[in-house]
Amino acid sequence: MSTTATPGATVEPGSKSHGRSRLLGIVSNQQVLLLIVWLAMIGLFTALNRIFFSVDVAGNVLLDWGPVVLIALAETFVVVSGGIDLSVGAVIGLSGVVAAYVMQDMTTKGQGQWPTLLVGLVVALAVGAIVGLTNALLINKARLVPFIATLATLGAAGGLSIVLTGGSPIGGGPPNAIELSVPWFGPFSTPVLIVVVIVVLCWLALHKARLGRYTYAIGSNSFAARAAGINVQRHLTKVYVLSGVLSSLAGMFLYLRLGSGAPTSGAGMELDAIAAVVIGGAALSGGVGKVTGTVLGALILTTVTSGLIIIGVAPNWKQVVVAVLIAVAVAVQGFRRNEGASA
Amino acid sequence: MLGLRTSSSAVRGLVIAGAASVVLAACGSSTPAPSTSSAAPESSAPAKSLTIAFVMGAEADPFFKAMKVGAEAEAAAKGVTLIWQGDPSQYSPATQIPFVDQVLAQHPDGLVLIPTDPDALQASVAKATAAGIPVVNVDTHVTDLTDVLSFITGDNTDGGAKAADAMAAAIGYTDGGKYKVVVGLTSATATTNVARLEGFKAAIASKYPGIEIVDVAYSQSQPATANTNVSNWLTKYPDLNGIFAIDGTNATGAASALQAKGLTGKVALVGYDAYPDNVAKIKAGIFTALIAQDPAAEAKQAIDDLVQFITTKDKAGIVHEVVIPNVVLDKNTSDADLAKYTYVS
Repeated sequence: MSTTATPGATVEPGSKSHGRSRLLGIVSNQQVLLLIVWLAMIGLFTALNRIFFSVDVAGNVLLDWGPVVLIALAETFVVVSGGIDLSVGAVIGLSGVVAAYVMQDMTTKGQGQWPTLLVGLVVALAVGAIVGLTNALLINKARLVPFIATLATLGAAGGLSIVLTGGSPIGGGPPNAIELSVPWFGPFSTPVLIVVVIVVLCWLALHKARLGRYTYAIGSNSFAARAAGINVQRHLTKVYVLSGVLSSLAGMFLYLRLGSGAPTSGAGMELDAIAAVVIGGAALSGGVGKVTGTVLGALILTTVTSGLIIIGVAPNWKQVVVAVLIAVAVAVQGFRRNEGASA
Repeated sequence: MLGLRTSSSAVRGLVIAGAASVVLAACGSSTPAPSTSSAAPESSAPAKSLTIAFVMGAEADPFFKAMKVGAEAEAAAKGVTLIWQGDPSQYSPATQIPFVDQVLAQHPDGLVLIPTDPDALQASVAKATAAGIPVVNVDTHVTDLTDVLSFITGDNTDGGAKAADAMAAAIGYTDGGKYKVVVGLTSATATTNVARLEGFKAAIASKYPGIEIVDVAYSQSQPATANTNVSNWLTKYPDLNGIFAIDGTNATGAASALQAKGLTGKVALVGYDAYPDNVAKIKAGIFTALIAQDPAAEAKQAIDDLVQFITTKDKAGIVHEVVIPNVVLDKNTSDADLAKYTYVS
């Protein structure tokens, strides 16, 4: 292990450097670092306004975190596979709007809340799957690079939701659907609890299942993965469809929160997803990334949003704070690589 | 080496085309008879119908959708051919100027322009004027209005003042009382936001000194962000009296936040923009009041001005600057008026 030091690194034998490298090992563990940063933020915001440390604010943060972590998880699978998905935000808008129309129609016809929401959910998932499948076809068959393929579907899905709605939010669904977003278990509401379950399922899929192993293999070296007998195209199709489906769940989450499907919902949120993934320690070059990192990355982003409002700082500072976090996160990654990630 | 037996297979290549492949269309088209029936005898004076180009801000905005409905109705009533153009989603001079150039190339009889920037579109007005095409500005205007036939706008400052009146009524304002309100904005630079906020602040300063604006925040056109802002304000200010949601996005976010916190009716909510979904929420008591513009009336006035000037070549009777006031929609507004002002899509 110690022989794998990169040429630039100096090897200092002795107990003193041993202790130093163990400390570095802990600090350079991205997840631990993120946890420290997050706790420090909570401490800072609480010190500036006591109200921040409350179940109420935690509930607000978690309602914000739900859709962000869903699209960030989608992005994690794609980024680990060596690609990128710019369409996640546009899928939120399109799936929410299409589902909203269906639910409006069913409610007008006197259908009850639960059948309506169930049909709305299925419709939203179908929209997400179709966009994901389109991405996969553009990448596998038309041979577009993921950036361009998903840029195209970002434009198409975003434009389509505006064409369908004329720019107005679509309400008129189950009148009490919005109450599902009310926290009842501490700061947790039902949609947030469902997201927690999805996070666990994604963790199992990426870190404990064949789906994840193949994703890492393709992201690390797609030629080697193909040589090892992995059907790369079929696997990438699964990854992009999963990404679309997770994003459409975020669309449904926002529908429950707003009580309507807005065409502007999710616009630009692909940047939040990428920021959460990068802060969480994934490498855009592929093959590196963890669900725990992404979850913490999304939590940090949404904690900043609510925290700045509570302490009364202009929210435009959020962009500056996020920029600093991204720069630090990527610098830490480089630092770890140079240390050989040993100890 | 392989050349010996190739000739036999080559013969198979010959395909005898069947005679049936030549199909003659037996039924001759006998339509081009020199009939004169198509030319409808028009007895009235206008020999050729007028064409008016309408270049707006952003197709996706419900405000412009509603304006389009008004423009189309008035164009049909006046027998005018309408060219409706503008960027699908971006409200920006960089994307708008090519649209102006393109419609001017079609030589319309008149141009209605909603300049997305007061200075950047000045040259476009000069270009149209030089080509003998009269220009009307709607909603926003270019810096120098001397070449512009008329300028028709909704008054956003007045709308802000009306929002302050509606807010004061909703929170039961009495002199000597102390009231806390917050304002949800889209961005620090959107011109309509700025004008509405100015009107709101001015009315509060002059008429309702007991009202304090304790916070503002930006939604960046995201209803979910507007919801987060309001949710946190409701936690931060347990004694909050009212929310002024300055546009449709903020209205949607604020309404859902109040519903989720069970504070509907307890915290006054004055919104802006008559999105269908928000108008429905007036009846439900979620919105205390909605301030609405009348984009259809603005478009109608613009087309009327142009038709009059083009047909009579006379500016008499055309008011150079017309302000169409915003209206307040609340639970006392009649269903007919609610329907009239709702932005159709």
